[in-house]
Amino acid sequence: MKKEYGALVVGAGIGGIRSALDLAETGLKVALIDARPSLGGILAQLDHQFPSDHCGMCKMLPLTQRDQSSQYCLRKGLFHKNIDIYLSTELAGLEGDPGKFQATLSRRSTFVDPTRCVSCGLCAEVCPARAPSEFNAGLKQRTAVYLPVPHNIPNHYVVDLDTCQRCWRCHEACPTKAIDFKFEQRKDFHIIVATPDQRLAQDIPLWFKDEGFPLHPTSSGEDALKLLAEGLDCGLMLLDLDLPTAEAERTLRRALELRPSLAVVLLASKAQNGDKDGDKDRAAAALLKLGAREVLAKPLGQAQVVPWLDKLFMRLVSDESFSIEAGAVILAAGFECYDPAASPGGSADLLLYGSHPGVLTSLEFERLASPTGPSQGHLTRPGDGKPLKRIAWLQCVGSRDVKKQADFCSSFCCMVSIKQALLSRRRSRGEVETAIFYMDMRTNGRDYQRYRDEAENEAGVRFVPARPHTILPGPDGDILVQYFDYAGELREEVFDALVLAVGARPPRSMERLAQAAGIEVNESGFCATRSLSPNRTSRLGVFAAGAFGEPADIRGSLIQAGAAAMGASRMIRVYHGPRDETPEAEPEYTDVSRQVPRVLMALCTSCPTLERNVDSGLLHQRMAVLPGVVKVVDVKRACTREGWDALRQEAELAAPNRVLIGACLPYVHVPRLRELGEALRLNPALMDVVDIHTASFAGRDTSFGGHAACRASCAAGSGEEHGVCDCGEASRTKEMGSLLAMAAAKLLGADPSALPKATPVSPQALVVGGGLAGMTAAMGIADQGFKVVLVEETEHLGGQAMNLRYTLEGDDPARFMEDLVEQVEKNPNIRVLKDSRVVLSRGKAGRFVTVIATGEGVAHTLHHGATILATGGHEAKVYEYGNRVHKCVITQLELEQRLAAGSVDASGLKGVAMIQCWRSREESRNYCSRVCCQGALKNILMLKKRNPGLPVYVFYRDIMTTGFAERYYTEARRSGAIFIRYAPDSRPKVTFKDDKPVITALDPVLGAEIELNPDLLVLSSGVEPGDAAEIADLFGVGLTPDGFFQEAESKWRPVDFLKHGVFACGLALGPATMRDSLLSAKAAAQRVVRILSEKQLSCGNVVAEVRDTLCARCGRCISVCPYGARALDLDRDRIVVDELLCQGCGSCMAACPNSATVLRGFRDEQVMAVIDAALAVQPSAAAGL
Amino acid sequence: MKNTRPSISFTPAPLAFKDQELAAAQDMVRACMQCGTCTASCPNAFAMDLAPRQMWRMLLFGLTQEVLESRTFWLCSACYSCTLRCPRGLPLTAAMATLKRLAAAEGDSANRKKALFYQEFMHNVEQNGRIQEMGFMCHYFLAMHDPLLPLEYTPLGLKLLAKGKLRLGGRGQRGRLGPLFAKVRSMEGAS
Repeated sequence: MKKEYGALVVGAGIGGIRSALDLAETGLKVALIDARPSLGGILAQLDHQFPSDHCGMCKMLPLTQRDQSSQYCLRKGLFHKNIDIYLSTELAGLEGDPGKFQATLSRRSTFVDPTRCVSCGLCAEVCPARAPSEFNAGLKQRTAVYLPVPHNIPNHYVVDLDTCQRCWRCHEACPTKAIDFKFEQRKDFHIIVATPDQRLAQDIPLWFKDEGFPLHPTSSGEDALKLLAEGLDCGLMLLDLDLPTAEAERTLRRALELRPSLAVVLLASKAQNGDKDGDKDRAAAALLKLGAREVLAKPLGQAQVVPWLDKLFMRLVSDESFSIEAGAVILAAGFECYDPAASPGGSADLLLYGSHPGVLTSLEFERLASPTGPSQGHLTRPGDGKPLKRIAWLQCVGSRDVKKQADFCSSFCCMVSIKQALLSRRRSRGEVETAIFYMDMRTNGRDYQRYRDEAENEAGVRFVPARPHTILPGPDGDILVQYFDYAGELREEVFDALVLAVGARPPRSMERLAQAAGIEVNESGFCATRSLSPNRTSRLGVFAAGAFGEPADIRGSLIQAGAAAMGASRMIRVYHGPRDETPEAEPEYTDVSRQVPRVLMALCTSCPTLERNVDSGLLHQRMAVLPGVVKVVDVKRACTREGWDALRQEAELAAPNRVLIGACLPYVHVPRLRELGEALRLNPALMDVVDIHTASFAGRDTSFGGHAACRASCAAGSGEEHGVCDCGEASRTKEMGSLLAMAAAKLLGADPSALPKATPVSPQALVVGGGLAGMTAAMGIADQGFKVVLVEETEHLGGQAMNLRYTLEGDDPARFMEDLVEQVEKNPNIRVLKDSRVVLSRGKAGRFVTVIATGEGVAHTLHHGATILATGGHEAKVYEYGNRVHKCVITQLELEQRLAAGSVDASGLKGVAMIQCWRSREESRNYCSRVCCQGALKNILMLKKRNPGLPVYVFYRDIMTTGFAERYYTEARRSGAIFIRYAPDSRPKVTFKDDKPVITALDPVLGAEIELNPDLLVLSSGVEPGDAAEIADLFGVGLTPDGFFQEAESKWRPVDFLKHGVFACGLALGPATMRDSLLSAKAAAQRVVRILSEKQLSCGNVVAEVRDTLCARCGRCISVCPYGARALDLDRDRIVVDELLCQGCGSCMAACPNSATVLRGFRDEQVMAVIDAALAVQPSAAAGL
Repeated sequence: MKNTRPSISFTPAPLAFKDQELAAAQDMVRACMQCGTCTASCPNAFAMDLAPRQMWRMLLFGLTQEVLESRTFWLCSACYSCTLRCPRGLPLTAAMATLKRLAAAEGDSANRKKALFYQEFMHNVEQNGRIQEMGFMCHYFLAMHDPLLPLEYTPLGLKLLAKGKLRLGGRGQRGRLGPLFAKVRSMEGAS
């Protein structure tokens, strides 16, 4: 049966994961596929992320209903009841229409049975083949059978067939027979060879004697077809192109008719002199189009053909293709890092990349700095191990380079390099010298400029505005970097390592993917999107998420992914009709709080390592006498359905009120515990799974060599030195017993009383602010069938975007806004309240009560489940440089409006000067306003369009045209605008003469003062947030020092507030272009839909509680809570905990001096009992509870 | 030093030069982003008075006089390093050649003098079918009207002579390239 899904998400990097979570949380089933054998995309390789310098990926996990997905490290794995993950799987075809797509997926076999693989690593130990490790960016070697990402869970070995040498040693070494090279099927795999070449026909059967394939050499196509027609179950046909062309073609066509799944490989002899016009090549190409699989060049040699054919056989019988049904498709295939060694298009020779071990890409450096990397995080040079003391970063490698087909900016590399340099400085306590060579330092996020300033001023990272041209091998294996500084002096510096900040490239499989999904790509090879519908591809129902549509950093990718999820979710609801509304019955659990604890302990015995290394009888004995344990049973293969059925039967017999399972991979069992809980009517919180598998074998370091090394040291230890190694059976049994006893002790103390009641959700949303972001968010929610109230302070909808006249990409924003306003006003689900303000708001996620005062003096009381704050911002007011004094000084926005209105006549001007970053990127407004560079460019291009000869001079600090906006910068330069860089300490001076501006500034290139006398001076004044202090106070959310809304986490929760149920988007969240606002609004809308689509919100099993009698109201717990879940209720004089916000981290418990705050599921008594059990002390009070 | 250049003051003039060729040279370097790769790649940059990056900048500013007074473009030996490496893919060597041609045709006496070397070189090649060092040397010195110049070069000349680098040469190829030069002239005349 074809599986049906709400959505298919292609690519399981963070973008894909975010989209999948956003959809799964609204109740849609999601298929998440990835071509790699591992989850997490490039993020699996990155340990540190700016601006916080740690990971934090787990912050993406759902905060409410959080027991639906496993709450574990997201870098290790993702488990959600609504998400099915298919790895090593690619999209092969997409048919059908939005609402009902038929997707064909092809899965490459890894040749390792994941249900059998116990990740013991024996296979990797014996593997003789080596290939560069993808995980370590090629800095280390891996074997052909390997772990794609060492920290993944579940983690199974995979076989890389291309590297495999076919020695089969891993197959022999595998203790669980998990590696399957299809030896049995070889004798049933018939191969027909159709060749007129007698010699070949004779040789081939001899060559394949050892492989056991039945071979059928025939001398003509007719004979081959006859064999097929007779019903030979043939898997492969080798078709020689030396047969007459017509015959070859007929044979191919007919063969594929008879057996559509037949693989046909063409044998083509090398073009000879007689074949000058390439007839054979053309014939081969024609046959490939007809369905032949590939072409093999003749003459064939045994050494080459046998491995090739054997691998082809394994692929043919192991790979599978299947199709699923999906309502919408999200493409999140991410990007590839530019490879400087690529040919053509590389620059390895100029940059010494590959030939000098000290030249690294930024990804390689990231691995080098990682504790799980090749040097355990010590910064040493790969070749000679020299500690790195002087490191240089080279920006824009493979980006912003028209010669390398990269007329775009990769957006993330500047921040990545700053982060890496900062990290190097901090780790070495300032000993490492760092220098970043850049063209423009693009710190164009809200907080990024401060991050750069911190790196430059506090940490001492050197920023050099230059593009080094010559990289030479220096003395002692160092690197000599030559560059011209701005003053025109040639400088030389020696570094230990040079990090190339490589940019983004479309994914390697882009061509195939675009064809399979039926979407268009843009000229840079990324997915084509339009600027005012940035999440939509050229095909309806197919969305672009993450960095797939435009290179972006993590924050940008996540916002884009949220917006894509919104698009997909809306599409599914529009085309698929309302979902089945019967809610899943909430499981009811028996109240066992008044029962004596009865623990059922089940041990999985399927792992062979367990039998071999553990004395099971002894273990049973020891476990049976533990307090509260009523029964210890063995279960065969707990990882299979049968195993769980057996377990359930045992449990039904024993009627326990606690269940403890000893098995492998506790993370994976969470959904099964839920099922078991339903069957037994027992709360899953009273069950636990313990990993007894890891303890059952030594060599837990699964990097190769671990196991053998352990055994070797064991042998050398000669038995006397116990504790040197834990390989012995006795110690293994002891360790396992101790693990189980600890878990049992914890379960005994678990609180069996019922959870706090779930909060019912008011299925309505409130959106504050009727600008572009507010309206877009309102539409996004309303289109998915929920009521929205939109509150706007002024008398008109539209906000800031109404002031825009044209965009850089050539859209018509006025028209767009008009349409949007009309749609909002006509939408039956949206109620617009103009001239209104929020005066009071109370409540929490799912249940807010807000009072809104309207202009007519009427107050509305509103019950809503979630809130979006989109209070916007505005162009900053400028009173310097003669603005508002002289008519010839205007802002960019004014110029745009005047150009559109015709009150500025470009052809009558003699010269225009622009000054960028007016008062931006320095205290007190130390952030980049994002819109001014693009605003200046669009005005320049408009001026130049109307008067190509008009001189335009732009004074700038860094031009921030990230992504594809870069091409407009190139265009502006090409059109003749002159860009003059200035430093904050030598800004251009403006005086006035005859009411015309006179600008004097230093041109750093010429090193000379220049004086300009333009007609018009245009200032880029930047963006300021609206006054949001009052609204932030009303909703209990935070503001940044600049007055923008402070989101919960700038990377992982970019549109959320710490206070759950309230979200922000648009200009109020940070400077944004129209595109940015649209994306953040859609992402926020999807977050709201996540809450509204629940009937009720329940908290997790592990939440904090306060024992009021012990509480001294000192308030320490309030300040340490990272989720803002605690508050002092002054009316009732007690600390209150918002169960929905509390994530059970336990910070409050540690901070409380009186032990007044306790964590359900992690009480002090439990923890003490666990420690006692670990130390094998007689269990204390916990047993008596 | 370079950074003590006197200040330049100008009112922005319409960018389109009246001079077609100058405008063409400017067009070639419009998309320049002042990265300096050209300067860095130039093997002759040490001898130039304006670094190539500065010269392009002046050209873009419309400082024609300063550009034509510099000897930077005269020192370009057309090795194409800058063109090859320019990340913007600008035809910098061609722009240098345009400036040379422009300066030779319309420049002041100083520039015309600088052009003499090129002229005499080509003249010599045209006549002899290859360069004949002696003849070329003599013609160049004569054309320069500077009696001290040969003296200045005497040590170098002696050195070259000792190594056998200065030959009187045969006349085997004489006039061989005449038609080629004639064709070029007719093409230039036509355009």
